Formats: sequence, structure tokens, C-alpha cells
Amino acid sequence: MSGLFPNAWHVARREYRQRVRGRTFIVTTALLAVVALVYVLLPVILRTTGIDRPAQVAVLVTAPDLSADPVATLDGLLSGGSAGAAGAPPKIEVTRVTDAADARQRVRDGRLNGLLTMSRGSGGDLAFDYLTNGEANDEASVFVRQGASALAIADRLGRAGLTPEDRSSIFAPPDLTTSAASAAAGRREDRDFGASFLLGYILVVLTFMAILTYGNWVAQSVAEEKSSRVMELLITAASPRQLLTGKVMGAGAAGLTQFAVVIVAALVGLQAGPALERLLGGAPVGGGQLPALTVGLGLAFGVFFMGGFLLYSILYAAVGSMVSRQEDVQAAASPLMIVAMAGYFVSFSALNGIDQGWVGILSLIPFFSPYLMPARILLGDPSPWEIALSIGLLAAALVGALWVAARIYSAGVLLYGQRPNIREVWRATRVSR
Amino acid sequence: MSLVIDRISKRFAEVAALDQVSFSVEPGRIFGLLGANGAGKTTCMRIVLDILRADRGEVTWRGTRNVALPRRTWGYLPEERGLYARMRVGDQLRYFASLYGVSSATAAAEIDEWLERFRIPDYRDRRVEELSKGNQQKIQFIAAIIHDPEVLIMDEPFSGLDPVNVRLLKEAFLEMATRGKTLIFSTHQMEMVEELCEAIAIIDRGRVVVSGPVREVKRAMNRRTVRLATEGGDGIRWLDQLPGVKVTRRGEDYVEMEVSGEREPDTILQAAIGRGERVTRFEIADPSLEEIFIEHVGRRATEESESHLATLDR
Repeated sequence: MSGLFPNAWHVARREYRQRVRGRTFIVTTALLAVVALVYVLLPVILRTTGIDRPAQVAVLVTAPDLSADPVATLDGLLSGGSAGAAGAPPKIEVTRVTDAADARQRVRDGRLNGLLTMSRGSGGDLAFDYLTNGEANDEASVFVRQGASALAIADRLGRAGLTPEDRSSIFAPPDLTTSAASAAAGRREDRDFGASFLLGYILVVLTFMAILTYGNWVAQSVAEEKSSRVMELLITAASPRQLLTGKVMGAGAAGLTQFAVVIVAALVGLQAGPALERLLGGAPVGGGQLPALTVGLGLAFGVFFMGGFLLYSILYAAVGSMVSRQEDVQAAASPLMIVAMAGYFVSFSALNGIDQGWVGILSLIPFFSPYLMPARILLGDPSPWEIALSIGLLAAALVGALWVAARIYSAGVLLYGQRPNIREVWRATRVSR
Repeated sequence: MSLVIDRISKRFAEVAALDQVSFSVEPGRIFGLLGANGAGKTTCMRIVLDILRADRGEVTWRGTRNVALPRRTWGYLPEERGLYARMRVGDQLRYFASLYGVSSATAAAEIDEWLERFRIPDYRDRRVEELSKGNQQKIQFIAAIIHDPEVLIMDEPFSGLDPVNVRLLKEAFLEMATRGKTLIFSTHQMEMVEELCEAIAIIDRGRVVVSGPVREVKRAMNRRTVRLATEGGDGIRWLDQLPGVKVTRRGEDYVEMEVSGEREPDTILQAAIGRGERVTRFEIADPSLEEIFIEHVGRRATEESESHLATLDR
């Protein structure tokens, strides 16, 4: 048995160079980078172009004896209440108007989303009239309804003789503390759950995309060598293990190159967003931030991502060696794709309930652990031995997959026929070298 | 110290592709492997190259089993030609050389030399897909020998080549032979074998029906062909009465006959002169390989055998 190197290295280098220099690779990589950049900058673009400008609500007061400024009250509701989270861009802007006819015209023209008219009703209570072109349940209308009830209550309390100070103490938020039931929950409490969930979601999607896209590259590339018959020369010159390993390394490196370009484009977009917005005359606002990636977390993600990626790619190479024509790759790879997709979909259930027992078990199983263990590290609380066991099993699966795939490969590359037949291939593996 | 194929057998499912195949090839010789399509030639070559394993039997080269030999021992020209269409000729050949452990510089010198020999010196930076079929086959040949193998195994190297390229390839064969290489090639074109090979094996349905040096194979037929023409001899009817003589063709120009091993061909000339005939042509020839093939296999090599191995052995 010959060693893996340097031949695997030669194979990988040829594969990487040929692929990265290809026009298809350059065009798709550039396109994906642009898509990522635009996607990340979309909020900035929407805001600065005015497509995403806040809803405009005008307030017209005809009751002369109001004790509080209604615009200030509504603004307070916007910044502190349920209508907007702190730091998020205001969705609604409130202004005070005095010219009723002009304001009504602006509502009809669509320059104002709505006009709220406040008057003193016959019973002494405030009466509200809301004129709008929007739907009864759009964001501005819901907000106006809440605002109206707050204003009415404040007005009644004022007429009942309460001072503004009394009123603010009545409406002050209660003293509520939350305590953790367990130590694990306590640690989790420190994390920003929403951001961790988002990162977990992104990781699962990235892993899935890498496995499916670049695994397919490997299979296509092997099938191409087989259908062009260059395989017979290769198999004479190098061992199946060398060819297989080199192919996975080369195509994988090309895939990761594309991935890196796209991710860098997205990160550049995230960094450049605020500057771009200032440049365009807007005011940058803080968005939801991803949790800081510690070295440990990054390392764990890297290990599971690469492990899963290699595991699937090795098997994709075996699939490619079984078919005679490139068109048959998709059909032959479907069982593998189903496993990859199962892991992907299961991960979404797992993200919503990371402490379920089955998540713990699946996060140890090689074909699923690349999705589930990073999610558990992020959202759950796996013990170190679980992480170590999961990595160990993944490594063992890699060695096993390489062995099985090399056997299938050495038999498969010489089988030319109409359809790939797993039984035929398996029989051939027993007599091949 | 030769290449010894010793009783190798190989079955694919229920089909015996090779059955106790044995023959040996002397180092430095050109050896022909003859057989119809599907006879088992490709399977035999793949087993020698150790890209297939035999069920039984073994292959040794200079006393070492093929499974223990380094891969660079062998050069292989498969019947189904295959190169990377979009790679440049030079890059491609250097890549194959690198898999055999040949340095880029050594390979580059060798590539230039062979491109020169094949009269395509400026094709090094062309993509393979831009080349004509004949030129692609030249590149394929260079790919087989770029690592300077001891044994060169070629599956139907002449198929699909025009006469000019056939001549270039024959010259390349002889060049390799003068470098001391051992060449084995399969074919069903008997004239190539007559011209190039010192020894042959004929395979039919997975069995070797005859093998050895061409001269011995011909002698073992134990008959010779005689062509005789006489002035005004009109068919030379009296030949039919001679024992050990079988007339096979009566043409306007000459009469051809098979003479069994027991009768010396000279006696036919003596008989003609004794009858007062004026002999204008007398020719003694060994049986052709074509005849030998038909004698052993029962049909011409270019006819398809009813093979079940069509998909595997091609």
C-alpha cells in the first residue's frame, strides 16, 4: 500500500487550480459576493432611499385644556413601550399640526399616514378621530389606538387631581427580577438568546450549503474523469485512496475559497454599512449584533464544519465513481442528499428546543453532529466529554468513510454501464485491489 | 527474468473473462496480444497493471510480483483514450509525470523531445480540446511513457489512426524498443503484428490458444504455403494428384497451395521440372498470422465474437 502523499497533494493542486481558474467559478463567486453584499446592505439602502422611511402621524389638538403634551406622551410610548425596541430605528414619527384642512389633504395625498384629531367630548372625556389611508391594523393604527388610550387615562387622572409626578410614579415599571432555576440556565441567562439563535441558524445553513454544493462538485468532478476516460490513466498512476483524498482536498479547498470570498464580502458590508449610511446622508442605527465569537467557539465550529464537510465529500466522491455519465450524479447522490437534508431540517427543531434528549443523542452521531453540536455549544450546555466524544466519533467516521469510499472508488471507476447498481459495485469491491 | 503471466483466471459475476491465461514476454521485445473484441485482452492488461486483481494466478516481472512493484514500472495506453480536454498539453503531461514522481524539469525536457519527434513542437501550450484526434492520440502516447516505464502496455494503439500517424507511432515503438523497453500491445490488425512483433499470444474467449515467438508459432503450424506459376500452365491440374499438397487458390497469375510438414516444398519444383513445365514463379512462404488466427480461433480477428464482456472489456 502506497502512502497518501505526495500524490494526493498533486491531485488536490490540479483540481484546485483547474477549478479556481475556470470561468464558471469566477463568475459564480463574484455573483454570490455581490448578492451577499447587497443583502447585508439592504436595510441601509432601504432607509437612505426612503423606501423604508418611518410612518408619519400628525396630531391635531382642538381641546384647549390638556394638562400634558400629547406629542411628548406618544413619543415616550414609542421609545419606551411596546411599539419599538430600544436602539431600533423609529418606525413611526409623530408631529403636531394646527391646520386641519391642510393635514387632511396631506393624508389624502399619502404624505401623511394618518391624522389623529383630539377634542373634548360631551361627557368631558377626550374624543379621538383617526383619519388614515392605511389598514385598520397596520403598525401606525395599532400604535395610535394604544396612544389614544394612554392619553385618555392620563387626561382622566389629571382631571381627578393627580399631579404629573403622581402620574409618572403610577406608570413607572414594576420591580421584577428573574432568577435562574439551574446553574446551566444561569450561564445561558448571560447570553443574548436571540443573537445566539441567529448565529446557530446561520451556522446550520452554511454547513448545509457547503455540504450540498461542494459535495456535489466532488461527485461531478470524479464522474467527469470517469466519463472522459482519463480515469484509466489516473488509476494506473495513483492509488484510489490518493486520488480520492486529493480530489476531496482540491474541490473542498476551491469550495472553501468561494465560501470565504462570500463571507468576507458580507462582513465588509456589515462593517461599511454605517459609514455608507452617513455618506448617503442618513443616520446609522445599531442593528441586532451577532454574539462575539470566542476562540474556543470558533475552533469548535471549524472542527465540526470541516469534519462534516469532509465526511460528506468523501462519500460524494464514491458516488461519482459509480456513475458512467455526469448526468447520473444527481440521481445516484440522492440517498446521501436525503441524509444531509434530514440533518438540516432536524436542526431547526433542535434550535427551538436544544435540551431535548434526542438532540443530545443525535449531536454525537457523525452525520448529524456537524449540524447539532455547534448549535448545542451555542444554545445549550453540552459537557466537555460529549463534545470530545462527538469529535472522536466524527474522526472515526472519516477514517471509515475513506476506507469504504476507496474500495467503492477502485471498483467503480472501471465499471461502465447504463445504471449505477450498488449491488454490482459492492460485489466488485470484493475483488478489486 | 521476463514478464510472466502465470495461470491467471478472472470471473465477472457468472462470466469467465480469463481462464488459466499463461504466457511470457522477454524483456526488450515487442509482443503482440491478439484476439477479437471481448476475448479478454483488456482484462488481461488491467490485471498485469494491477488495476484489477485476478481471482487466481499471478503476474511477475523480473521475478517480482506485480502487486509489489512500483507503479512507474508500467506505462499504459488505454483503448478508450482520455485526457483532460481543457488542460494545456504541457500542464497535463507534467501532471501525469508528477503522479509517477517525475520532477517537473525532467518531464518538461522529455515532453519537448517527444513533441519534436511527433512533429508538433509548438502544441505544448495548447488545450487538448483544440487538437485533432490524431494529435490527441500522440499526447496520449506521451502520457503513457512520460515517466520512462520499463514495460509499456498499449491497448489497440493503432485504432483510429491515419497512415501518417501510424508510421509515426511505429517509429515511436521502435525508439522505445531501442531504449531497451518491453512493449506489449493488443490489436486485431495482423499486418501490424507481422511487421513489429517478435512474439505473440492469441487469446480467444478468455483462453490463450497459442503463444510464443512468431517464427515458432508459424513453424508449429507444420505447413507452408507454396505459390507456383508455369508458362501456359492453365491451372496446373496435376498438382491435385500430389500427396501432401492442397490447392487453396487457382488464379490467373498463380496457383497457391498448402504443403504439409511431411513434404519438402522443393519436391514440388522438382515435380514441375520433371514434367517439362517452364516454371515462371515459385515461392515458399510461412503461413500468415491471419491464417494462423483463423486456424486457431475459427474466424477472423476483426469479426466480433459473441462476447458477454462487451461493457467490461472495452
